Amino acid sequence: MTTLHNTSTHARPIPNPKKSLITKLNMGTGIIVGVIFAFAAYYAFQPNADTAGFYNQQNKALLAAMLFWSVGFLIGIGAFIGPFRWLIGKDLTAEEQLYLAGDGQGIKRYFKYCTDHKVVGIQYLVGVMAMLAVGGGMAMMIRTSLAVPGGHFIGASVYNSLVGMHGITMIVAMIIVATGPFGNYIMPIMIGARDMAFPRLNALSWWVLFTAIPVLCSAWFLGGIPTGWTAYAPLSVQAGPGMNAFVATILIFAVSTAVAGMNITSTVVAMRAKGMKWNRVPIFVVGATMSVALAIPAFPTFMLAMVQTATDRVFNTGFYDANVGGSGWLYAHLFWIMGHPEVYVILLPGIAILMEIAPVFVRKPLFSYNAAIMGFAGIAGLSVLVWAHHMYISGWTPTLNGPFMVTTEMISVPTGLLFLVMLGTIWRGKPWMKLPMLGLFAVIWNLLIGGITGIYLSDVPADNYLHGSMFVTAHFHYTLMGAALTGAVAGLAYWFPKMTGRMLNEPAGYTAFWFTQIGFQVLFLGMFIAGAEGQPRRVVSFAAMYKYSNMISTGGAYLVGIGFIILLWAVIHSWRKGDIAPQNPWGAKTLEWTVPYPVPLENFDEAPIITSDPYGYGKGN
Amino acid sequence: MSNHDEELTPTPGQRAINLFRRTDVQRALLFTILWTAVFVILGLYFYPKWMPEVMSRDMKAMERIIVGFTVISAPIAGLVMGIATQAITNRHKGDTPPPDGPAIRTNGPVVMVWTVVSGIFCLIAVVWGIAELNSMALEATAGSKEALHVQVIGSQWVWSFKYTDLGVESDKLMLPINRPVEFEVTSEDVNHSFWPLQLGVKVDANRLQTTVADTVPTKLGPIDVKCAELCGLYHAYMETSGKVMTTTDFNNWVTSNGGHVA
Amino acid sequence: METTTSTTSSSKRMISALVFVVLGVAIVGVVGFTLHTLSADPQKPLYATKSADTIEIDGKSYPKASAVLGVYPDKATAAEHGYTANRHDYVQYGPSTHLVLPAHTYVTITIHAYDSGEHLNNPYFGKVVGTIGGTINVDGVDVNNIPSDNVEHTFTLHGIPSTSQDPLFVNVPLPQVKVDDKDNFLPTNDPGTNNKGHTVTFSFITGGAGDYVWNCEYPCGDGTYAKFGAAMSAYGYMSGKVTVA
Repeated sequence: MTTLHNTSTHARPIPNPKKSLITKLNMGTGIIVGVIFAFAAYYAFQPNADTAGFYNQQNKALLAAMLFWSVGFLIGIGAFIGPFRWLIGKDLTAEEQLYLAGDGQGIKRYFKYCTDHKVVGIQYLVGVMAMLAVGGGMAMMIRTSLAVPGGHFIGASVYNSLVGMHGITMIVAMIIVATGPFGNYIMPIMIGARDMAFPRLNALSWWVLFTAIPVLCSAWFLGGIPTGWTAYAPLSVQAGPGMNAFVATILIFAVSTAVAGMNITSTVVAMRAKGMKWNRVPIFVVGATMSVALAIPAFPTFMLAMVQTATDRVFNTGFYDANVGGSGWLYAHLFWIMGHPEVYVILLPGIAILMEIAPVFVRKPLFSYNAAIMGFAGIAGLSVLVWAHHMYISGWTPTLNGPFMVTTEMISVPTGLLFLVMLGTIWRGKPWMKLPMLGLFAVIWNLLIGGITGIYLSDVPADNYLHGSMFVTAHFHYTLMGAALTGAVAGLAYWFPKMTGRMLNEPAGYTAFWFTQIGFQVLFLGMFIAGAEGQPRRVVSFAAMYKYSNMISTGGAYLVGIGFIILLWAVIHSWRKGDIAPQNPWGAKTLEWTVPYPVPLENFDEAPIITSDPYGYGKGN
Repeated sequence: MSNHDEELTPTPGQRAINLFRRTDVQRALLFTILWTAVFVILGLYFYPKWMPEVMSRDMKAMERIIVGFTVISAPIAGLVMGIATQAITNRHKGDTPPPDGPAIRTNGPVVMVWTVVSGIFCLIAVVWGIAELNSMALEATAGSKEALHVQVIGSQWVWSFKYTDLGVESDKLMLPINRPVEFEVTSEDVNHSFWPLQLGVKVDANRLQTTVADTVPTKLGPIDVKCAELCGLYHAYMETSGKVMTTTDFNNWVTSNGGHVA
Repeated sequence: METTTSTTSSSKRMISALVFVVLGVAIVGVVGFTLHTLSADPQKPLYATKSADTIEIDGKSYPKASAVLGVYPDKATAAEHGYTANRHDYVQYGPSTHLVLPAHTYVTITIHAYDSGEHLNNPYFGKVVGTIGGTINVDGVDVNNIPSDNVEHTFTLHGIPSTSQDPLFVNVPLPQVKVDDKDNFLPTNDPGTNNKGHTVTFSFITGGAGDYVWNCEYPCGDGTYAKFGAAMSAYGYMSGKVTVA
């Protein structure tokens, strides 16, 4: 292994296409044009005599402003220059393309419409960390308010908004937490590609997502959202102007995931290095691809649900209003047809990261690559057939509860295969307890608890008791936070050297790990107890009988909060001043460790040729 | 892995004995047993302790399932944690990667057994769940003739109960013991979810829909009624109390509230 | 693995990390307290006036206390009566939506109503529940119920049943003020006219200390679904807290 020094890309002259508009545009121009568009739309859609018959004027103007902000921003940052130039037959010159890839522009390229997948990966990483920090801060306020019965710390309407905003911020962050940073930065190198299949769409997916962030934040200044992240109708139709921000966020985010999902899938299908047959693809790439591919059919239903929510709110279309023949069940279906695949969209990449990590740290091949594939495929396939288990008690067609219970419980079989792969890989090995590997053990425990409690919830009679209680909240935090987020953090510790050129500070990393994991167990053990005792979820106040379980939860939450602040410090500090990382600190065999840091613009000087899978560890291999 | 092993060709019995002589296997087994015990105790002792008093046949079924699933899954959970714990005891320290382990790429029989066994466990869960569902449905049909009909109305953020046959309306849920009761649940506005905690009943209240749930209260005592679906500002306060009473007490309550006993 | 030497000393790193953690906690704390302040009731709590009198109910003696509330159709009407704390131009209760009542007390509440209406979502809330005698006094007449198409707002007090606080449920419907009322109960505060809406009086007995809430069950929010948006879903207008202390 060699220690690496900055082999600078600045040696090459910075491309400087004269008179090209793309050199003038950046995030700042995007914001300016976006804000102008937003205000123009807001005033254009103000009530007037002709439109007075419409349902709620304010909703129309606000929604228009938010969507036009997004379009305006994209115009202002230059997202449509490429397609437009292509349309008029004057496609970008080679020099302009190089400029667009951010060649040699240093830190500035992170604020531009940059097509380099590594830049997009870092943009996603920073964006996700910011979202997790905000969402985590809201969790701290929720738990503070629930520390004692009575809910005196935060008033009911702000509390309800906290619950919903925490939920949607975290869900959006978790959907991109692995496939955003690692799927964009690492994955193309892992498969030996020079970039993504559609670099401009890659930049588009990030910047579209970026425009959703201020829209979501605006909910706070418009009275918040009372509905939780599920935004059930007709409560969402009744909700105040803040709800428009939620609707607009989802509409924008759905475009971003569609673009990103299509791009990542195409890249893996079409851009793999010579010799990388399907059975030689690193397992993270498989998991991440299945995840984004699953999102492609899932998200449009959520988008449709939000379009209908918007029209119900703006034009009184009544899709979800039973008084005029609509149905709240329609919303619940559209939502969960997205919602259940979505939890696996979140989970699969996290598990896949750990499967990538395990062989490296026990120096053994991945145990049963085929079982891993079958596990991922089985989960992805079944996940589209289970949505109505969220509706067992809704009253909608109880005769179908049985069939949905069967499909839901069948998911335990492919999930079991994922456990088998992880356990089989560490079996008879000597695990090297570096930070990424600690994550694997934490996830085995967390996913086990999340999985077993999931079996209770999948059972109709048991769900009759547990549905809508704190037990459900604890269950899905075990899977989404305990498993998927821990997996993603393990991935960050693992790929940090490749993405930043430096090692993640170990003492701080270990401290953060123990704070978050111990705090996490305490936090959600308390919540499991509260749920079993019968405390409904999303309540600002609760009966005195739940006093102790909530107190335990809040204590645990503070530990988790401190742990994540330490982790954030470790990331920021190590990024700036950490120890310079060798090219391949873990001795891994996947392709990303064969390239130096900073990774050259097109990753490989010579296209790699693949002759085996990357798991050739162990004696006699 | 098996080429070398097969050259030695020990009998299957010998192979099994050799396997259990290995210290890593013994240790993993020991941890498996310990973890299994932890999960069994969790199921048998803690869940019944945490869950509210069982006051109906449905609540009994629910507790049975939650406890049962925990105990049944305990050996599998124990095995997972046993193997993980054993691996931790065998960890490698230091700043250099550990020595190479055995190059086991897969093990057909293990994958097969694992898949089949997890399939069997899944089947047990499914069959049990369906059986419970079925018996609940049968009991509901059997009891529906003599059932007490209670219309449950969810309004933002108060429950009200209409005893249609008795001419009584109340904000509290009063029920006679051992008589089947049919809740006809509906909402005046957004979605709510009717949840009388100790009765093990939960069903959503939807605007212009009547959803039906039934049970038989089997024990005297107070009931907590909650809303389990976020319904706006005072969702947390959409709670009320109730009582399972003797038939005489119930009849007295009905008449004293202006109703007539059927 | 080979690494180059660290660029900062470990004690410096430790201090930097500690400062970072403290700062992080402080930021979350400041935001939390900001939300705490913003989400608090804009009005000062209304304390019931205790009197020296006692009253005997079912053989038990209770001290007496009283409070006066008003319901106003909009901000301007509320301002006419001197209540200006609320931001939005919503229908609202005043002077405060947070009532503080003494425990184990016979509480008499008088509500002046100045609003018109349509009809209830749930007719149950036309019934008087939980008051002494099951009745309320409307302009001098005792009634136990108001038809659901003649209700203007309700004062519905409830809480989370729990072993640590006594149950308390009171539902009081308020009659509409109609422009064409033959008695001309016009919604006005002008001393030149003889009537000032309806006056509704009722009493109930508080239990031990506890936290309760009240809200209006008459759909008087904006035109969104079930008319429970805006004023109905914003804290401090048609909903509030009741603290029994």
